[in-house]
Amino acid sequence: MNRPPVLMHLRIQKEERGFDLWLPLFLLLLLALVVFIIVSPLMVIAILVLWPSGRGRTIILIIRAAFQTLWSMRGLKVDVHSGPRCMYFTVV
Amino acid sequence: MSESKKRILEMLAQKKISTDEAYRLLDALETGERGQGSTAKASTTVKEKPKYLRVMVLPDPESEHPENVDRVNVRVPMSLIRAGVKLTALIPPEARDKVNGALREKGIDFDVRNLKPEDLEELIEALEDLEVDVVGSKGEKVKVSVEY
Repeated sequence: MNRPPVLMHLRIQKEERGFDLWLPLFLLLLLALVVFIIVSPLMVIAILVLWPSGRGRTIILIIRAAFQTLWSMRGLKVDVHSGPRCMYFTVV
Repeated sequence: MSESKKRILEMLAQKKISTDEAYRLLDALETGERGQGSTAKASTTVKEKPKYLRVMVLPDPESEHPENVDRVNVRVPMSLIRAGVKLTALIPPEARDKVNGALREKGIDFDVRNLKPEDLEELIEALEDLEVDVVGSKGEKVKVSVEY
């Protein structure tokens, strides 16, 4: 299994102006985990209520897909230059 | 017992071939099977799975102002592509039709419903031995390759 992403670096440059952002994903993931634990009983109830309509399964699949996507983002790198403008995005 | 071996023995029983010929055929079959097994084993040990898909758009080196031309360098983890393909299964049917319609407007006749993880695996396998290299209308180079 992949390791979760730790840092996200975003840099947007527009001629002279621009900004550089380092986002500590490991802290955000910890926060998200706490929120997930708090919300999980409600989610279980929602899944059980919606199960007969078939949407409960969709909720499970969405949660699973969201985790898979987040976990597999490590190594993503986007570097786009268009004249003096540039956008750089990487997940470490 | 394999089908080929059975067929050889049947041919021998029907006296279509001699015992000597049957022996030689069985021997050749066994040698072939052993050879296939060893090459398959070798390819699995040597072949490494690609980790990233790299897409690069490089400006024409002969252009007058290469610094003003668009440059793109994208590295996408294969696992992210796989996860993305799995996500297509969650797209509601109405949204899928809209996506297909938008693609058709752009001249791409493709149904998102047909995108399956197995097809993607095949595509990745094909990309392992291939590097797409296209020169655009403005002389820019587009490279698509896999990285390990």
